[in-house]
Amino acid sequence: MSLGAVVITLFSIVLALLLALLMIPVLVWLERRVAGLIQDRKGPNRTNVLGFRLGGVVQSFADVIKLVFKEEYYPKHIGKHEWLFIVAPSILFVCALLGFMVIPFADNLQLGTQSYPIQALPVDWGILWYLSIGSIGVMGVLFGGWVSHNKYALLGSQRATSLMLGYELPMGLSIVAMIITYQTIDFNTMVAWQSDTIWGFLPAWGIVVQPLATFIFIVTLFVETNRAPFNVAEGESEIVAGHMTEFSAMKFALYFMGEYIAMNSASAVIITLFFGGYQLPYLSTNDLFSHFDAIAIVLMLFLPIFIYYFIRWMHKNNAVNRTLSSDGGRAFETKVLTYTLIAMSLMIELVMVYLIMQPKESLAVGLGVMALQIAIFIAKLMLFNIFFIVVRWTLPRFRYDQVQKLGWNYLLPLALVNIFVTAIVVVALGA
Amino acid sequence: MKKNIKVIERYNVQWKHRIFIPAIIEGLTITAKHLLGNVNDINRMDVLEYPEEQPKDISGRYRGLHRLTHREDGGVACVACFMCASACPSECIFIEATQREDGVDEKMPQRFAIDTLECVFCGYCVEACPCDAIRMDTGIFSLIGNKREDFLLEKEQLLSHRGAFANENSIAKSGVASK
Ligand code: SF4
Ligand code: SF4
Repeated sequence: MSLGAVVITLFSIVLALLLALLMIPVLVWLERRVAGLIQDRKGPNRTNVLGFRLGGVVQSFADVIKLVFKEEYYPKHIGKHEWLFIVAPSILFVCALLGFMVIPFADNLQLGTQSYPIQALPVDWGILWYLSIGSIGVMGVLFGGWVSHNKYALLGSQRATSLMLGYELPMGLSIVAMIITYQTIDFNTMVAWQSDTIWGFLPAWGIVVQPLATFIFIVTLFVETNRAPFNVAEGESEIVAGHMTEFSAMKFALYFMGEYIAMNSASAVIITLFFGGYQLPYLSTNDLFSHFDAIAIVLMLFLPIFIYYFIRWMHKNNAVNRTLSSDGGRAFETKVLTYTLIAMSLMIELVMVYLIMQPKESLAVGLGVMALQIAIFIAKLMLFNIFFIVVRWTLPRFRYDQVQKLGWNYLLPLALVNIFVTAIVVVALGA
Repeated sequence: MKKNIKVIERYNVQWKHRIFIPAIIEGLTITAKHLLGNVNDINRMDVLEYPEEQPKDISGRYRGLHRLTHREDGGVACVACFMCASACPSECIFIEATQREDGVDEKMPQRFAIDTLECVFCGYCVEACPCDAIRMDTGIFSLIGNKREDFLLEKEQLLSHRGAFANENSIAKSGVASK
């Protein structure tokens, strides 16, 4: 292994860990903030460090500090099985984290003649890895309910089991249709496939080619990640907190964070499979390289406009009602953030100028394209996470027999029909 | 077995409700509208910046913290009849009666305490009182303390609360006195 390979692998692992772990506080905050805004409330926006509240993200870090210092409590009736009590949430957390590791964040990086995937786990059977790891994650839920010796917890994990029976099949079958379409089980090749267009004008994204499979997969992923409208295992209005009833402090936090990582991974997989991954429509990696100068110039023009509007938005919204005499230091924060943003955009402009002056085949341009694709990926990831959150605050919860009915009576036949149609089309086109 | 099952017919279930998707999209548009509108202008929401901004719309019917009213001469209006304590569903009024020596009335409370941690602010005590001696018209909606004992309001404290909307004196007693 060359030095380049080691550096790239380490970089991918660090990037994946950062994207998964740093996303948790952001997502927890986003969930509460979006919930508030949807219900015409403000949500958490006050916690601050030295007056910097960053819209309230600091709240999540305060929550983590609180959870870490909570008493480590084990209910008496579980006796000497305390270690099982730690294992259960860990399974969910670790599996959610591992599932995220096979996502490609950018196209393969060319170093000389070698090409290296920007994937923490550089395997070419990513989709199988994600499916298997994701299903093991549910074991954490079952296990947690079982070791709790508590009727609510047991009911929760029983519901999780019934769900698992309901959704695994349509999910796997919708994936089969996608594998037939893409003719690969490698995430990166799938993304490359989606950079094409069909009939010359539609981007060949999974959602365009396979709308039915997209729908089935997104619905079943909502079930797998235990998100509303399918969070029956938790069912806080009926069975306290379901499988999490007996868990407190960091053990609860592991469950909680594991669910957010799972949601993040689910968004990443949906993007990779159906929404073109790290690509923008009509711009494949080759296009990015061959038209790099033009794209960089467009970006250089676009960035200041975007930053300008963002700063204007910040000035308008990082303020309290005019009726109040004191703004709690928000004006100062806005000022500092404005200067930081301007400095950052200037730096990016300088980097772009430098990249334009480089020859097209140089490593610098390769890294620039990679950074661009990672940025696109993160933007899509955030959009999809927000979609997950908005859905949670829109739909009421399904009853768990309704979920089973949905899975077996509607999604399963649809997925089967989809496979047949896909196979026929693929064979007909191939012949 | 069969005859014990009651099947409830759902009415007006249309095809578009059965496949969920149109209804889901409808719902998502509503929430997305709220979300985007509020993101665009966060101060358009009708909310209070609470600790700095205090509510201004507390009406005279609002059941706030209790107070004990006074007679016109400034003495306590309560006659320690225990009506309020009997009516209280949370059993959180503690009264110890004593003889009233000044001839104004027969009895008065030696101790009159309300445990506000137990109180459910139902207002039954106010309705039960024959002397209009206890009221909840102070308009106080928050009580802060560091220990449990801070929430046990004693007679002196209850007498010191002022009414925000009505006169200070007990109407019932002064009405009787003027006859
Ligand atoms: S408000 Fe209700 S609960 Fe509270 S002291 Fe009066 S009667 Fe008791
Ligand atoms: S407050 Fe009213 S009801 Fe209660 S003991 Fe005094 S006079 Fe009787």
